[in-house]
Amino acid sequence: MSYRIPMGPYHPGLEEPYKLDMICEGETVQDAELNIGFNFRGIEHLAETRNYYQVIALMERVCGICSFIHTLTLCQAMEKLAGLEAPPRAKYIRVVMAELERLHSHVLWAGIAAKLMGFKTMFMTCFALREKVMDVLQAISGNRVNYSMNRVGGVNRDVEDPLALLPLIDELEREMTRTVIPIFTTSSTAASRCAGIGVLTPEKARSCAVVGPMARASGINQDLRRDAPYAAYEEMKFDVHVQPAGDVKARLLVRALEIMESCKILRQALTSMPPGEVSVGGDKFAFVTGTATSRVEAPRGEVMYSVSWKEGSRNPARVHVRTPTYANMPAVRWMVRGARLADTPLIQASIDPCYSCTDR
Amino acid sequence: MTDLETIREKLGTSEPWVESRGTHWLNPGAAGVRQVAAVMNEAHARFVTITAYQLPGAEGFRLEYHWDLEGRLLGLPFTIAGNAIDSIFDLSEAADWIEREIHEEYSLEFTGRECAPLLLRKGDESGVNLREIAAAKPAPAAQAQKEVAQ
Repeated sequence: MSYRIPMGPYHPGLEEPYKLDMICEGETVQDAELNIGFNFRGIEHLAETRNYYQVIALMERVCGICSFIHTLTLCQAMEKLAGLEAPPRAKYIRVVMAELERLHSHVLWAGIAAKLMGFKTMFMTCFALREKVMDVLQAISGNRVNYSMNRVGGVNRDVEDPLALLPLIDELEREMTRTVIPIFTTSSTAASRCAGIGVLTPEKARSCAVVGPMARASGINQDLRRDAPYAAYEEMKFDVHVQPAGDVKARLLVRALEIMESCKILRQALTSMPPGEVSVGGDKFAFVTGTATSRVEAPRGEVMYSVSWKEGSRNPARVHVRTPTYANMPAVRWMVRGARLADTPLIQASIDPCYSCTDR
Repeated sequence: MTDLETIREKLGTSEPWVESRGTHWLNPGAAGVRQVAAVMNEAHARFVTITAYQLPGAEGFRLEYHWDLEGRLLGLPFTIAGNAIDSIFDLSEAADWIEREIHEEYSLEFTGRECAPLLLRKGDESGVNLREIAAAKPAPAAQAQKEVAQ
């Protein structure tokens, strides 16, 4: 006899409100339905009522983890409409901030995944590491969550002594290499809880058009930093890690390896940051009529902004945001099919979902 | 690597691809959205999103369909006079949520599918034009100014 188990919108296994309705036979999930929209905020519509300064502050609040990424994507689109290009130093600072945000997101996710595995000491280790990343973000921007770094035409703050940040990156990389990565890759707890569960095959990953680490953990070799470089990524040397298995362990490995790549990129950006100004264009901007798009590889995958403007207006005519969780979440239905009920909190967490982004 | 020209030829459109502000645009001409989705599947392009615009007055809607082809963002716009367009959900399951969202935000019908609610709705009503309902109310800031003036 089949029965229905609702998980969410309020559940200890979920950090944010959404609902996974699972149809089970015994302990096995046969199918699932997903419901989102519990906190839908209408930010896209609100953006049309904000001027070109206010809209940046508004879009920074789409996501609490990727706040920099959202303003970066928006500002890149607005720069195309204003005919501006950020100066080289600003592009490097954007890379530094984007990679620090990736570190923050991946380490935070590793902690939450460890907690869901029942590995609470690892949760504490990851959150201690996350604090170190946030210290660096605070040292650069003065803020821990909404950094207010991006502006149309560049960034608001300079990194006065980039080389002073290198010891912090070294320390972070050392901790990751000594503690987090070996435990996640070799411990029997992690292996028994992650290997072979929540499998998303490459075919299904393509069909669902998933993005980011989730796609790369299902054997799809895509990364906008390499495929459609923005900011200063064209000048950075890094590898894109792909794992073919498509299970929770593969997602764990991809993110762990990406942490190391982020450290590599940060070191390059900090040591070769060009001198010069950090913004162009002054304080007043004139946007042409039309639409501009911008895409950025956020920690969870591709973020896309489509921004439309009417010449002479201070407000955008339309801002459309496609966030990575919005692309990745529907695939959870296929990942939990055939899984044990007890594994479903970890499976849904393995996509690193963000409902703040989804319910934008 | 799939050539953009091959896609254009398969769609039978005479207008060229135009690269503008981050997107390669193609006017699909007489090709319908389902034909475009089928050609994109053949090219192994990844569906990205649909951006909906409500045109002024009773002009209808403009829907911009986006796919990614090996790092290039492709855009194909469709203007519809009424309030319905063919669904591509059966050809591209990744279009599921965005079709449902547009249905709930703009009261636009995607023919050939049932749009299960995503919860973006007014009370119990699903498929109403939320944008028009919101536009009828003054923005909170404007309302506050009005109240201060009074």
